[in-house]
Amino acid sequence: MEGGNNSSSNNNPEELAVGCLLSIRTTLGDEFEGQVVTFDRPSNILVLQEPSKPSPRRNLRLLKANYIKDFTFLGHAQDPLDPNTCFLDLTALQQREDVAVRQAEADAERIGVGVTSEAQSIFDALSKTLPVRWDKTVIVVMNEVRVSSPYHSESVVGGTPAANDRVKKVLDFERKRLQLRSSGGQ
Amino acid sequence: MNLQQAGQSKSSNGYGRRKSEREGATKSENKILSGKLNANRLANAVVTGAVTGSKGGSYESPSHDRLVYVTTCLIGHQVEVQVKNGSIYSGIFHATNTDKDFGIILKMACLTKDGSLRGQKSGTEFVSKPLSKILIIPAKDLVQVTAQDVAITRDGLANEYHHDMHQEIMVDSLISQSRHVDLGRELKPWVPDEDDPQCPELENIFDGHWNRGWDQFETNEALFGVKSTFNEDLYTTKLEKGPQTRELERQALRIAREIEGEETQDLHLAEERGLHLHEDFDIDEETRFSSVYRGKRVDDSGFDEGVLFDSHNSETFGGETFGGVFGSVVKRPGEISGGKGNDGAQTLANSSSVDHTLSSQSNTGVDLSRSGSSDHAKQLASELPAKSYSTSDGESRIQENSNSNQHGDNGITKEENLIQAEDVQLSKSEDSQGPLYMNKDGSDKGVLSPNASSYAPSSHTSSKTHEKMGSHGDLVDGSASGKANGETKSVNSRGTQSGSDLVGSIPASSALGLSPSSSVGSLSSEKSTLNPNAKEFKLNPNAKSFIPSPARPPTPVSDGSFYFPTNVTTVPSMPGMPMGIGIGPTFASPQPVIYNPQVAQMPSQGYFHPNAPQYGQLLGHPRQALYMPSYMPEMQYKGRDY
Repeated sequence: MEGGNNSSSNNNPEELAVGCLLSIRTTLGDEFEGQVVTFDRPSNILVLQEPSKPSPRRNLRLLKANYIKDFTFLGHAQDPLDPNTCFLDLTALQQREDVAVRQAEADAERIGVGVTSEAQSIFDALSKTLPVRWDKTVIVVMNEVRVSSPYHSESVVGGTPAANDRVKKVLDFERKRLQLRSSGGQ
Repeated sequence: MNLQQAGQSKSSNGYGRRKSEREGATKSENKILSGKLNANRLANAVVTGAVTGSKGGSYESPSHDRLVYVTTCLIGHQVEVQVKNGSIYSGIFHATNTDKDFGIILKMACLTKDGSLRGQKSGTEFVSKPLSKILIIPAKDLVQVTAQDVAITRDGLANEYHHDMHQEIMVDSLISQSRHVDLGRELKPWVPDEDDPQCPELENIFDGHWNRGWDQFETNEALFGVKSTFNEDLYTTKLEKGPQTRELERQALRIAREIEGEETQDLHLAEERGLHLHEDFDIDEETRFSSVYRGKRVDDSGFDEGVLFDSHNSETFGGETFGGVFGSVVKRPGEISGGKGNDGAQTLANSSSVDHTLSSQSNTGVDLSRSGSSDHAKQLASELPAKSYSTSDGESRIQENSNSNQHGDNGITKEENLIQAEDVQLSKSEDSQGPLYMNKDGSDKGVLSPNASSYAPSSHTSSKTHEKMGSHGDLVDGSASGKANGETKSVNSRGTQSGSDLVGSIPASSALGLSPSSSVGSLSSEKSTLNPNAKEFKLNPNAKSFIPSPARPPTPVSDGSFYFPTNVTTVPSMPGMPMGIGIGPTFASPQPVIYNPQVAQMPSQGYFHPNAPQYGQLLGHPRQALYMPSYMPEMQYKGRDY
């Protein structure tokens, strides 16, 4: 057992020691279980590791202790963080962040700004089989057909008759799927 | 796990204003916190030093080191941050401020849940906001940060590297994203050609029954005399019928029905088993029939398919094989998969499929209910013995499989026959080429042999000519010497010897008789060579004079008299030649010849030398006058003798 927190606070120091299993409820209504990885008193941050099947990857949660409504001590387990296997490669971390940022930027181009999720769903459905892009709030298909708000069959304009008909068919099909989903599932 | 699910939020003008205010605050805070960012980098460096074993600052505690380490591991990961008002932001974890408070900086952050609009429940009017390049969440607003699948230890990093390498490969999920694949070429519709009347049989090639009951073994035996040694037992397990066959078949069918009757949450398995899931229309054809479901997190379609049921990839892959195997069983109620397993050629594939089935069943059991896994294991244990045994239907099926195997073997045999035929053709061609080559050689020899013969005769001719010339000389020598001997003998007999000497002279005359015939041949050839010349007429009398010589052996005296004229004829020719050559001493030589026989022999040798130049002169045709004197002396001598 590594050194625990000797500071006296509202929380019981022993129960926030490394390796403790807790069931926590937050003031915002979240409930979850986790194993304590560390608790930093100056910043009042509690790092938890959620239980999952054995895997080198874990689900982490950093929680500010101020927002703990109540918690239950479930047990005590081994230290989840073995110092011998702790390793940091700053270069790899930086590269990973760069890759993630580039990917996010590419994905951002596919997310419409100022449109509803319904429009986004229609955009995604069309993008499965056709090259599409956003022109502000207008969906442009194959640089010919334009679908403007409110994204109905009547709002499809431009393009060759075949392309126009195809876009209308896909649009109708997608709207039916959305209706079924909203009525049945949600 | 009570994860914060991304839900639809509501928007209002008031919130929009607040958003803009917050953005402004964020920008100003960004400027203020630039120094802290540098401090954060220094903190990272310190963490590196601390983790490697040399703890730097005495003011830092182990718990703080752990916190900094964990936050550093989150860099580059997609995280969700919950703030005080209940809103949730999703973005890429960039940095933290660990001086006094705990502030978080995100990149490409977007608002996924708006807590301030919890009261309003109309979700269809939510309008998405643009992403924030950099979003700073101060410590006072921070409630919690959640991150999924974070690698903290070394093995996790190793797996991450493997994952990164794997991502470089173009997998289906990347290819299916249309933005990554450019249209390579313009697609054109396929137009069928007009029906070609030259090939009417191709119109309905699959409607014919010409290939039913085809037996390639019989065909090969009829065409090539190849007898098949196919033995079914070499390729498959021999089936043993017995009283347990029906029992095993019934057991196998029961197990199959149980497996096919199981509830499954996998779309593909459900489709193959004929189960109709709820809201079929909600799922597109790609998801239903072709695509591999990878779970909600990895879904690249871009929208939430909550209706899809959760299942593992291994189950999906195994399930497809599983469904395929037992689907065929469903199509053939009378047959069982156990029979399939007994087929030798397909045993390997079926074994692998069985393995997949077992693994898929195991996964299904574990996924559905762990308490039921023992039951599934029992079923599997009971199922294995069934597959190891055979049934009548299985036997019939195996026979069909054997037929198909026979077809395959027929193909192989046919190929072998073709190869053998090629070998035979090669050997035949070699054999034919051999004789041809030999024939060519023979023909060459024949061609050469005629040439050789054509040359050989010429050589023979030349040799004969040479031989004739030589034989002529020899004959002349022989005749001269014989004549000389005759003269000597006659003189001796006349003077002193008795009749025994006469007997010795008779063989000599016979020998002389043979030589004249050969000399006659040579003279004829000379005549043929000298056709246009008059000498032919001159030589003919000589030939006639020589012919009677064999008719006169009984009279030695007459022979002696005949020989004398011949010598005399030779002697006059000698004076003729000297005239042409201009040699005077030759006139003196004939006289000693008459008186001394030994001296006469030597002049005869000299006579040969004049003969050769004599012929040369004759060939030249300038010495016709010389022939006249030689002829007249012969005439004179003959008249005197007679």
